[in-house]
Amino acid sequence: MKDIEESLRRAMRPVEPPQGFAERVMRALPERTAPANVVPLSIVRKTPAVAAWRRFSVPAALAASLLIAVFTGQHVATLQAEREEQAGLAASRELMQALRVTSQKLDLAYEAVQRPAPAPPAEEENRS
Amino acid sequence: MNARLVSGLLALLIAGPLMAQAKGPPPRGQLLLPEMASLADKASESVSVTLDSQLLGFASRFLNPEDPDEAAAKKIVSSLTGIYVRKFTFDTDYAYPKADIEGIRRQLAAPGWSQIVGARSKKDQTNVDVYMLVDGGKARGLAIIASEPREFAVVNIVGSIDLEQLHELEGKFGVPEMQIESGKKPAVAPAPAAKEASKPRTP
Repeated sequence: MKDIEESLRRAMRPVEPPQGFAERVMRALPERTAPANVVPLSIVRKTPAVAAWRRFSVPAALAASLLIAVFTGQHVATLQAEREEQAGLAASRELMQALRVTSQKLDLAYEAVQRPAPAPPAEEENRS
Repeated sequence: MNARLVSGLLALLIAGPLMAQAKGPPPRGQLLLPEMASLADKASESVSVTLDSQLLGFASRFLNPEDPDEAAAKKIVSSLTGIYVRKFTFDTDYAYPKADIEGIRRQLAAPGWSQIVGARSKKDQTNVDVYMLVDGGKARGLAIIASEPREFAVVNIVGSIDLEQLHELEGKFGVPEMQIESGKKPAVAPAPAAKEASKPRTP
């Protein structure tokens, strides 16, 4: 047991490198090494899709709301204009109908006024 | 405090339009024509037109100026403040209550209204009465009550009625010219037969 320890200690003892070892190693290395491609961990790591959605959710919601508001407003305005036009046309039809009834009744009055009156009874007496 | 403020604002919001809608007395020349809903149920055909000044203005915006009738109507309507028409046609004779007509006639007994035409035909059993409200030398209202055995109509036109325009109305809507002179009451011309009758007969 002691032998093993002894042999290990001997094997593990610090040894001075041979003369010129460091220079030889440095020469063996390429003169210029390409810069290390540093990739941030955040990209390497698989980012969940929720993160992107969270980032754009508020502007997207605002844009969607704006679009919906614009289209709804346009639709409501169109509907209102259509409704107003229909009401106006109905009112104008009513107006024309009212004027027609008025003219019919005036016509009736005119006819009644112009109609030959029946001969008065005095006329009959004179004739006899 | 907030609740009071909110309730106050709500009250204002509700009361504002209601106050705006509150109507004053009807303009001079306007008759109080009942809706006659019961008559409308009995009638085979009914026309009920209620156009106040706002609706008249709104309706006239939609009249086609290229149509001669509608162009004439637009001109006539420009000086009017209301047109009210009730017309009912029935399948049976005298299905309408005469009390309704009398109620309207009573309104026409008010000062200012004068009857310009009162025509009675025993043959056709047709009665037509035309009344005009003259105020300050100008016609402010026109009322026509026409009753036939199966038809009953009341027309009330409110506003500055120009007889010249009425003249136009006659020409445009198929009514023969009545030879009405503006500013004068239209005189009821004696019927030709009556004239003949008044002449001494020659053998």
